[in-house]
Amino acid sequence: MSQPVAPVRHILIEGNKSYHNITEDLCTPTEKAPSREWIIAFSIASALLGLYIFAIIWTVWKGIGSWNLNRTINWGWDITNFVWWIGIGHAGTLISAILLLFRQRWRTGVNRAAEAMTIFAVICAGQFPIFHMGRVWLAFFIFPFPNTRGPLWVNFNSPLLWDVFAISTYFSVSLLFWYTGLVPDLATVRDRASGLRRKMYEIFSFGWTGSAKHWQRHEALSLVLAGISTPLVLSVHTIVSFDFATSVVPGWHTTIFPPYFVAGAIFSGFAMVQTLMVITRKVLKLEQYITINHIESMNKVIVLTGTIVGVAYLTELFISWYSGYIYEQFAFYNRVFGIYWWSYFGMMFCNVVSPQLFWSRKIRRSIWWTFFLSIIVNIGMWFERFVIIATTLARDFLPSSWSYYSPTWVEISIFAGTIGLFFVLYMIFTRVAPVVAIAEIKAILKVAGDQYIGPNASQGHAHKQDEATKKEA
Amino acid sequence: MHHDNGIWVSTEDLMREDSFLQSAEKELSLENVDQNGDRWETNRRDFLKLLGFGLGAATIAASCEIPVKKAIPYVTKPDDIVPGVANYFASTIVNGGDYCAVLVKTREGRPIKIEGNTLSSVTKGGTSARAQASVLSLYDNRRIQHAGTVKDGAVTKKEWNVLDREVRAKLASGGNVRVITNTIISPTAKKALAEFTAKYPGARVVTYDPVSNAAMLAANEQCFSARVIPNFRFEQADVIASFGADFLGTWISPVEYARGYAENRRFRGAKGAKMSRHYQVESHMSLTGSNADNRILIKPSEQGAAIIALYNELSGNSGGPKLGDAKAAAAIKKMAQDLMNAKGKSLVVSGSNNVMEQIYVNKINDLLGNINTTVDFNGVSYQRQGDEREMMRLVDEMNAGQVAVAIVWGANPAYELPNAARFAEAFGKVGMRISFSGVLDETTALCTHAAPANHALESWGDAEPKSGHFSLIQPTIAPLFATRQAEHTLLEWAESPNLNRSAEQPYYEYLKSNWETDLFGRQTKYATKQAFWDMSLHDGVLEMPESGLNAVMNEVSLNPDSVTKPSGSELEIAFYETVNIGGGQYAHNPWLQEMPDPVTRTVWGNYLNIPVEWDGVNHINGWKGLNDGDNVEVEINGKKMTCTVVRTFGLAPGTVAIALGGGRTSGGCGAGYGVNINDWLPVTGGMVQYHAAGVSVSGKVGVDKHFACVQYHHTMGVQASGDEEGKVINADEKTLGWKGFQGALTDRSVIFHAHVDELEKFAEEMEEFHEESAHLNVQTLYPDQSDYFGTGMKWGMHVDMNACVGCGACQVACVSENNVPMVGKGEVHRHHEMTWLRIDRYFYGDFENPKVVYQPMMCQHCDNAPCENVCPVAATNHSMEGINQMAYNRCIGTRYCANNCPYKVRRFNWLDYTTADTWPANEERVLHAEGDDMPFYADNLVRMVLNPDVTIRSRGVIEKCSFCIQRIQEGKLTAKRENREIMDNDIRTACQTACPTGAIVFGNLNNPDSEVSKMTKQAGAVAYKVLEEINVRPAVNYSAKITNSNEELYS
Repeated sequence: MSQPVAPVRHILIEGNKSYHNITEDLCTPTEKAPSREWIIAFSIASALLGLYIFAIIWTVWKGIGSWNLNRTINWGWDITNFVWWIGIGHAGTLISAILLLFRQRWRTGVNRAAEAMTIFAVICAGQFPIFHMGRVWLAFFIFPFPNTRGPLWVNFNSPLLWDVFAISTYFSVSLLFWYTGLVPDLATVRDRASGLRRKMYEIFSFGWTGSAKHWQRHEALSLVLAGISTPLVLSVHTIVSFDFATSVVPGWHTTIFPPYFVAGAIFSGFAMVQTLMVITRKVLKLEQYITINHIESMNKVIVLTGTIVGVAYLTELFISWYSGYIYEQFAFYNRVFGIYWWSYFGMMFCNVVSPQLFWSRKIRRSIWWTFFLSIIVNIGMWFERFVIIATTLARDFLPSSWSYYSPTWVEISIFAGTIGLFFVLYMIFTRVAPVVAIAEIKAILKVAGDQYIGPNASQGHAHKQDEATKKEA
Repeated sequence: MHHDNGIWVSTEDLMREDSFLQSAEKELSLENVDQNGDRWETNRRDFLKLLGFGLGAATIAASCEIPVKKAIPYVTKPDDIVPGVANYFASTIVNGGDYCAVLVKTREGRPIKIEGNTLSSVTKGGTSARAQASVLSLYDNRRIQHAGTVKDGAVTKKEWNVLDREVRAKLASGGNVRVITNTIISPTAKKALAEFTAKYPGARVVTYDPVSNAAMLAANEQCFSARVIPNFRFEQADVIASFGADFLGTWISPVEYARGYAENRRFRGAKGAKMSRHYQVESHMSLTGSNADNRILIKPSEQGAAIIALYNELSGNSGGPKLGDAKAAAAIKKMAQDLMNAKGKSLVVSGSNNVMEQIYVNKINDLLGNINTTVDFNGVSYQRQGDEREMMRLVDEMNAGQVAVAIVWGANPAYELPNAARFAEAFGKVGMRISFSGVLDETTALCTHAAPANHALESWGDAEPKSGHFSLIQPTIAPLFATRQAEHTLLEWAESPNLNRSAEQPYYEYLKSNWETDLFGRQTKYATKQAFWDMSLHDGVLEMPESGLNAVMNEVSLNPDSVTKPSGSELEIAFYETVNIGGGQYAHNPWLQEMPDPVTRTVWGNYLNIPVEWDGVNHINGWKGLNDGDNVEVEINGKKMTCTVVRTFGLAPGTVAIALGGGRTSGGCGAGYGVNINDWLPVTGGMVQYHAAGVSVSGKVGVDKHFACVQYHHTMGVQASGDEEGKVINADEKTLGWKGFQGALTDRSVIFHAHVDELEKFAEEMEEFHEESAHLNVQTLYPDQSDYFGTGMKWGMHVDMNACVGCGACQVACVSENNVPMVGKGEVHRHHEMTWLRIDRYFYGDFENPKVVYQPMMCQHCDNAPCENVCPVAATNHSMEGINQMAYNRCIGTRYCANNCPYKVRRFNWLDYTTADTWPANEERVLHAEGDDMPFYADNLVRMVLNPDVTIRSRGVIEKCSFCIQRIQEGKLTAKRENREIMDNDIRTACQTACPTGAIVFGNLNNPDSEVSKMTKQAGAVAYKVLEEINVRPAVNYSAKITNSNEELYS
């Protein structure tokens, strides 16, 4: 990590931290007794997780008939939630891998938490394809394993099978990448711990000693994993979009889906990162690591991807009109003016209109606006998937089969439950591992050089930096 | 253990080392083991391990409930049963006047499927939904299982001989005896009845029909001196005018009439095409009206006026009531012209139950020269004989205490009569009340004795639906319960000398001897009595067609004042019979309850049809702002009832309608669905009228939470005037948000229709469409596989939408053949119906008076099937013969295939509908007969109806039409066994054989001589594939709907 840092850049960590301060700040949350807020939030999340487990048992026990899907609309909240969660799971890898390639060093403040979020979001996403199956006990049929049934192979033409590979690959690579980054930090925590805790961290940090060889291997592995992850950011949601794009259903059968889905995924992923970061930095007192600059940078990504998504929506409408193909035209007409018009307008407002507020620097740098809009964006992205799935299926080729769909309490509970599952995992994570990558953040701490403005820095340098800051403002 | 044979196991052995000798000795010596402390330890451990394993295994084995499969082999195999091979028996399904000549398919001695009997010239192999479903009522778990006395809605068992003694004693004690029946078309049963009435002088038979045609019989008695129904020959009529007669659905002999009707309308190629023209004058959309070329809308009470209008137009008379609507009056004038032009080749029928109106109809037919041509008196129909006036006299008699014994046979007056409460009260005054009903229906519950008759499939019998057309009923299974044939019971009570009581099947001998005495002599085909009987039984039918009878219409005085006068009431109601439930007789059959009404597409109940209104801009509203499923209070003559509404197209202004047959209260699974509206039926001149005036309908008073309709979108190209002056726009529902989307539905290649006069031009347009589609379909990523199916078999289907009348027989046949589960009202409400074959109904044309097209829709077996490539586990795939197959065992239920099916024919088992998994938690919401804890399909009796050739699908898997793969397999095996090529007749799908009009044809598309190839070829460009341009390459061809409407009718 020896790349030069552009002189116009702000300092990335505020508060004149020393290495020791960083270690202290970031390790403390794992060492203290949980705060009252944490306990309350964790209880709520656990209750939701309990609801999730109950609703899943209910679904499997009572049958998919306990959902309100029907002969026309065979996917509803289940796959909507699946795509939504997968989308959310995109920010982590993007931050870790792509921003790394673009040398966006501000990412170090948020990448650990974002990657954790990715993993937990993929876990949540993975629940839906499994439990939406009519016979979940036979879910293993989707794996191509040698068998005595013929042998009977899976259907490699099916986008659902591609999903299996795409998501499991994404999950394992993300997990490895995340954990690789965690190892030195876990060792740091270990070094400060004692007793059983120390033993546990010793196991989880794989005996990390911080030797040069360790660091060398660590860097090499990180690079390899970053290389693997980079295409995954694009491929996973592309393949998820194939679930729709390769079908024959008007409104699904569109070539624009892969880029549109990827942009949407990054969009929603960043929004979710914002939601979490805003809370995390407050609760764990990490304002100096996850600074308003981080938030602003991510808001810029949100406004960019939100606009890309908006262009995609308009392109879809244009193409459907331009196709001269009645089914396509009606599918989109119906999206806008049909029975689920409210979800289309909800989507348009939340995803396209609301992020435009981030053109204002003031709003971009406002914690409250960011938090509020990040939630709006995630609602909008949920609507987008609902529009694509339910609205399209409700009005397809044969009018005789058109129908309507609204969820049962079971479906709503499963969705609410996965939010519980997500937060339970995330909150445990904040208690057991440093939520900001200690080792990486130390690499960008400016303790020397002509840009250093910390304690004992020479006035001249500091003056220069101040000027640069002013200029940019 | 060294052996001296030179064999050694190791160097230690060879060298006879001490260590080896020691261990070798230990190895087999028990003594050593005992003495060795260490080994003791090990032994105890082993013991504990074994104990643990044994306990564990036993616990697991004992706690898993393994379903008990009862499969008991034959100890002595009956000669005529080969397990796995079906036997077919010719028989007849008769219920009152409903008649169908059938073949009953039995497997291992169980009747499981009804097929049409092609030897019958009445039904010509066609069936009705009612006949198809009759096999299910055989296995009805609500059947009365023994004779006995009835008290408090339960039958207390009594031996037959005890019952017989008791009844005979009562009969012998004198007094009037009345046998209440629906129409009986069995000559032998009539003979038995005659013996009974002869034995007891006070005995008389009283016959009525659940849905009456008494006026028509009375009119014919006056006009032709015969109380019969003429042989209507729809196949010879070029112009048909029907005044509210639903002859394709419910009126007298619909299977026969549908066949004849379709004969003259079938599409036989675009060049010089000709077809009959059909006018329907009615107030609500009946099945027949939905098939008509032109519908003339009148209010229900105006039917008499409409008939008079036609009569006046034809005869030049004037007088009588006038039609309120000038448009309708003008239309009738033009219709009269058309009828005149087809003199002798036209046909006018009416469903009216007013004698004078029917006399006028006869007179009209006379004026048109139709008597003895289309109104033939050779082979007159006996399918309606009832007269409700007699029934009303009987009620008076009973009220006066003049009846000692009442026997109810096949009728259910306590439900069916318009004044059922009065009947019930009078009936209570009869000393002994006996019911022959197989179930504890409303009337049986009022009886003192139950003498349950066999189900038709357990009975011997005969039928003469039309003069000279006889058919036999033979049992296909021994009676399931201790029931006895009604005829046998009557003869027993009559102490008939002709009944051989010692015979194994006394009524069989009675029947046989009756045929030999009465019919053997009348025929010339068979020389010996044995051959005559054997062949008649084998064929199921015996036909001695009459000819040469010429009827002359008597002079009858016509009195225009005796017809129904238009009520002038603001709101009127029409009562109608449905194809499936009839007058309520069929309400206890789930297959029929869940068969959607062809027009309203509703199931499980009768709903108040209310009109729809067009707001002129972009909305179709229900009348009074009501929506489907809203409850309203309807009051007629001070009698108030709560009905659920369904918005319906094609109602006359100021008219609502509701079906008969709802609101049964006892006797089976249909109890509790719909409302019993029989109390609303007015009686005029002794005749029940199927319409009423002075109706008031309240606003919404609630909602039917389980309103069940299988089609929520109804229109495809309905036109109404737009907001701009004089501009006609498409007013299709749900395409109208904002400013509307013109062409959203009409530009789809789902249905095509054309006028017969423009057929050649239409064929050219279709040619262009096919070319355009072919052009689009060339552009594919996949390698061209068009010749992949070019050799061997390639199964396909042809559906003639012009021959299809929408009667639904195919749908019930499919249910029966393929074990398609019934899911119940609540599940249909949630759009969870499982039917593999449905008949889509679309309205098009004028918004106020639309036309209808029916489209049977089943799996299209696409060669480029979108469902197949999306299944992750390859559970659905393509056979080499072009069939889209489902491997249920492989299906994990992702449902992607169902999403990707453009035809939406794939059905998912949301719950354990067939109870295949015996997973009780999955069965809570599935169909339960009222009051039953057990799901409908869990009952072992009901399960006897399942076709053993077709797998029962478990919950969580997708299913769909298989082109009756089991029949294909059977046909192929038969051909293979006989070492020949497959012939067209080897394989016919269930829907094909059920269809009364032959609208569905199945076969090998690679064989140019197969019927299906010929049909498609004949249809030429008019044949199309639904959604042809999306390159899924379906194997089902449809030929477009052709109409012959009088375009100038309303101009």
